[in-house]
Amino acid sequence: MAMTGQIHDLGYKRYAGARRDAGTRWRVIMRHQIAMAWKTWWRFKAWVGMAVLISFIAGAVMYIFSNRMFHGMGRVGDAALMIRDVALPQSIAWYCRAAFITSLTLGGTIIAGDVQSGAFTFYFARSVRPRDYVLGKLGGLGAITACITMIGPVLLAGLRLGLCESASDLVDHLVLLPKALLVGGLATCAYAAVPLGFSALADSRRTALAMWAAYYLVGGTIAIMIGSISHTGWIAALDLPTAIQGVANHLFGMPLIGPRLSGITMAEGITSVVAQVVAAIAIVWTAVDRAQKTGIGGST
Amino acid sequence: MIELSRLGKKFGAITALAEVDATIEGKIIGLLGPNGAGKSTLLKCLLGLVPFDGSAKVLGLSAATHGPEIRDRVGYMPEQEAFLTGMSAVELCTYAGELSGLPRTEAMQRAHASLYYAGLEEKRYQPIDGYSTGMKQRVKLAQALVHDPELLFLDEPTNGLDPRSRDEMLELITDLPQRRGCAIVLSTHLLPDVERVCDHAVIMNKGRVRFVGSIDELRGARGRLGELIVQVKADPDKLAAALTAAGATVKPVTPVQLHVDLPASATNKLVFQCARDAGVQLRGIEVRKESLEAAFLRVIEAA
Repeated sequence: MAMTGQIHDLGYKRYAGARRDAGTRWRVIMRHQIAMAWKTWWRFKAWVGMAVLISFIAGAVMYIFSNRMFHGMGRVGDAALMIRDVALPQSIAWYCRAAFITSLTLGGTIIAGDVQSGAFTFYFARSVRPRDYVLGKLGGLGAITACITMIGPVLLAGLRLGLCESASDLVDHLVLLPKALLVGGLATCAYAAVPLGFSALADSRRTALAMWAAYYLVGGTIAIMIGSISHTGWIAALDLPTAIQGVANHLFGMPLIGPRLSGITMAEGITSVVAQVVAAIAIVWTAVDRAQKTGIGGST
Repeated sequence: MIELSRLGKKFGAITALAEVDATIEGKIIGLLGPNGAGKSTLLKCLLGLVPFDGSAKVLGLSAATHGPEIRDRVGYMPEQEAFLTGMSAVELCTYAGELSGLPRTEAMQRAHASLYYAGLEEKRYQPIDGYSTGMKQRVKLAQALVHDPELLFLDEPTNGLDPRSRDEMLELITDLPQRRGCAIVLSTHLLPDVERVCDHAVIMNKGRVRFVGSIDELRGARGRLGELIVQVKADPDKLAAALTAAGATVKPVTPVQLHVDLPASATNKLVFQCARDAGVQLRGIEVRKESLEAAFLRVIEAA
């Protein structure tokens, strides 16, 4: 800092160019979100690496054991399934784990962090509207999460197509791509929006993180237990990874055997995820809208 | 620059702004008022962040309908910390510029220029988390400037600064309108800051604007042109005697200065006449002004 009180000027000139439309600000926020996540290893890159490893292992298993039957430690019952058809749906749970860890390092603290650091004032003193902020944060976190939950499954679906033995087999399996996109998209929405919703519920990062982790781990476990005991699919589907796995198994023709998944219909799985995502976005919207109206102005 | 017409804002049963009418002009305007006067609410209304009754125009745009456009043309330096963690000053200012609609390259160039102007030099590459209070204040000023605003709202810009940093910040504030052509609204409790840098003042109390005008008008706003400070070369007693005989009340201020309270109908011509009659040479004559603090208290108490 200049301690002389000297005023520096590099030759000031007024900005005469056009300003970008207010409707583009969400893209600036989204890009910034991704850039900040990319800055550190432990927040994002490590978990992308984990997703790459999951894809590599699942792809290697799919390739090496492509013609072997899958017994799944008795969990598929009498179903006749090939390993190459099972590797993709079975890997979804692992992608969900990587996405959950990313939500702990990034998504679960985003809005609480902005509240804590006073960033709302920084944003809303400019021509940023609540919808720009919400869209930017959701878009950024969605892109980050999609690197983990969407790219891997789509690549595995592509590999499965590569393992097809004939052209007709390939055509029959082309539907795997949109199915992988759907499951990946569902997981992306869940692991981007729901932790963001929790981050909007608290003013401190630690509290927001604790709430999200408790909801996911403890709440999810309780939902599975009650769902298993009562044989009620929609209650078990309140657990996000269970709902996503249930949808994946339905889409990829895997039997729903085991206490976690039994009884979950595809509609229940999708409805549960969509309902939680919508609720989370509503929470984020309310918190941000309120913050815009109260966050500017000093105490004078 | 700012036009308010029957501007009103209520929070439940609490009236934060009560039918405020004012036209605010000037280069550096001090926004003064006790806690709860309505200054923060006025800022929110001017930035188009909260709905309100009546009308408010900033730079010719309606705050009710053109909030985002106004915020693109206005810079805001908040009182409290408003940073994003893990960013350097140059990253923050570039981001601020982009959020105000500047293209990325332009935002980056202007971020460097603003931070250099604010005196951060090479420290602009360091994370803000490790900055001192003075440096953070400079970053807040730079981020408010980066998008080339026509109007700046500065909220307690010298809060927490040591005397030297405060002087430097006030120098920057004084320099801004000349060099960058922007007007400034300075919200502060510190009357010496206002006295030093502001040419106009707005005083608010209980949700109403109690005074709008130049600092000179505020300090001499009693409408008493008959209260003068008269400076003489020598023999102030002779002049005092002549003025007293003419019905004025005279008190010595310094060995060569007199405080003269003229009779109700008299003008300063009486001083010239008495000086001529007494053979005293006048060196200066000016309308006596109150201190800013006294003027502020008078306006508040009158409310």
